[in-house]
Amino acid sequence: MTIASAETWLAGVPPFVPGTLKVGPDGKGYLVGGHCPGCGAFYFPARSVCSRCLCGDLERVPLCSSGSLYTYTVIHQSLPQFPTPYVLGYVDLDDNVRVAGQLVDVDVDALELGMRVTTQVEPRENPDGEQVLWFRFKPAATTAAEELS
Amino acid sequence: MTEVYAVGVGMTRFGKYPDRDAFDLGAEASLAAIKDAGIDPRAIDGAYFGHVYQGMNAGQRVTGHIGISGIPVTNVENVCSSGATAIREASIAIRAGEHDVVLAVGLEHLSSKFRGALAPEEGDIEGAVGLTMPGVYAMRARRYLADFGLTHAQLGMVSVKNKANAAMNPVAMYHKIVTLEEVLASRPIAEPLNLMECSPVSDGAAAVILMSGEKARQLGMGRAVRLAASSLRSGKVESEPSSMTFEPLTRETANAAYAVAGIGPEDVDFAEVHDCFSIAEALRVEGLGLFEQGTYLLAVGRGEAHINGRLPINPSGGLLGKGHPLGATGAAQVVEVVRQLRGEAGARQINSPSVGVAHCRGGKAAGVEGAACTVQILVR
Repeated sequence: MTIASAETWLAGVPPFVPGTLKVGPDGKGYLVGGHCPGCGAFYFPARSVCSRCLCGDLERVPLCSSGSLYTYTVIHQSLPQFPTPYVLGYVDLDDNVRVAGQLVDVDVDALELGMRVTTQVEPRENPDGEQVLWFRFKPAATTAAEELS
Repeated sequence: MTEVYAVGVGMTRFGKYPDRDAFDLGAEASLAAIKDAGIDPRAIDGAYFGHVYQGMNAGQRVTGHIGISGIPVTNVENVCSSGATAIREASIAIRAGEHDVVLAVGLEHLSSKFRGALAPEEGDIEGAVGLTMPGVYAMRARRYLADFGLTHAQLGMVSVKNKANAAMNPVAMYHKIVTLEEVLASRPIAEPLNLMECSPVSDGAAAVILMSGEKARQLGMGRAVRLAASSLRSGKVESEPSSMTFEPLTRETANAAYAVAGIGPEDVDFAEVHDCFSIAEALRVEGLGLFEQGTYLLAVGRGEAHINGRLPINPSGGLLGKGHPLGATGAAQVVEVVRQLRGEAGARQINSPSVGVAHCRGGKAAGVEGAACTVQILVR
């Protein structure tokens, strides 16, 4: 499979929650948030009306793929579709919006509050056995190292 | 304005009832409350039922059990605040002059619906990424302990305290005193929270008979406790990240209730609060303004929140010790507050209180602090 066809394929995979993820022309996926043109607030997931200024013209925009880890946990008991243990965190994206997501490629003992992470959009099999697009976070440093190698 | 009184309370013991259903439990609690009030059940002219997972017309299935079918029945769902919301709706109906004597019930048979960790609604994106309710509170605990320089051992003392209180409460699910070592050694559910820091999956029901002041005087209800405020708020959508170690939702609901009751947090003698997890108790009491932010665990360490302390918190054992059948929880808190105010709490009786608070909250959706929060103030 060539890279181009992989990109095309990923772009055709539906997001795990409708309207929350997209794949751009460069084949990279991103979170889709709401942005208020009136006061500048970002929302994830997107809303119909801005809670801060009640502007009703929220735009759907790609959210920033980098942020810092506000807090995290290691989950040992969960629903059947989520094999345990896994690391879950709240990440404050650089657009000033907080998003919950799993963390991948992390050493639990090296996790720190405030550490830099990036969004990774990837395919996953949902409980019905269908391929869906979803996302996790990974340490920013790991991404840099991968790019160097 | 019409005053509202709690004139009768009753509840089942909380626990696991594989051979009974929610309606049977609701009937037991309702009959106990009617008996406690000493009223003719035909005097009840309206009923409100709160639950989360018990399906359609749960309330009518209870009234049908206990011989009071035909009266207006309203079913409410407001996540963990469902039972508390039923009481609030009942009090509003009385204040509006629609009813004089109302049965308000919370009921839930959770063990037949759920095992293990509760999670947000499936369609919610936070639920879909694998967030669980223990996970939310674990993350808040990690941040709280880090921000205020506190330890897991200090947090674990909340469980030790509440389970000790539950051991003195006949209707509590657990009657076993635990040590801090046992709490810290119990298996991890969502780090740093361990099993003994999480409220259990439970079944049960709790009921309160509410009456207008005029009716209570007419019937000579000598043990009546006044429901001075019953406030409700819903969580606001956040337009930017905020601290998860403080609860604006609890604070705003509490301020609304204090204003209606004409009191402040300094007037509160004790409180039942929504300790679904050990950390939750600290977040609640600080949100209620009963303790300064970041100080509650230190106060617990000094014994201030114990039954014989300066400001007892969760004398019933709380959700951690008494159990947490979602819809029943808010009603059960009011049952405990009434029993304490009447001086009928037995071994766990606190010293002659006159103002008690019941705080309940629940629900989680992405970008919202919480779904529903209730604060009720009872005065004797």
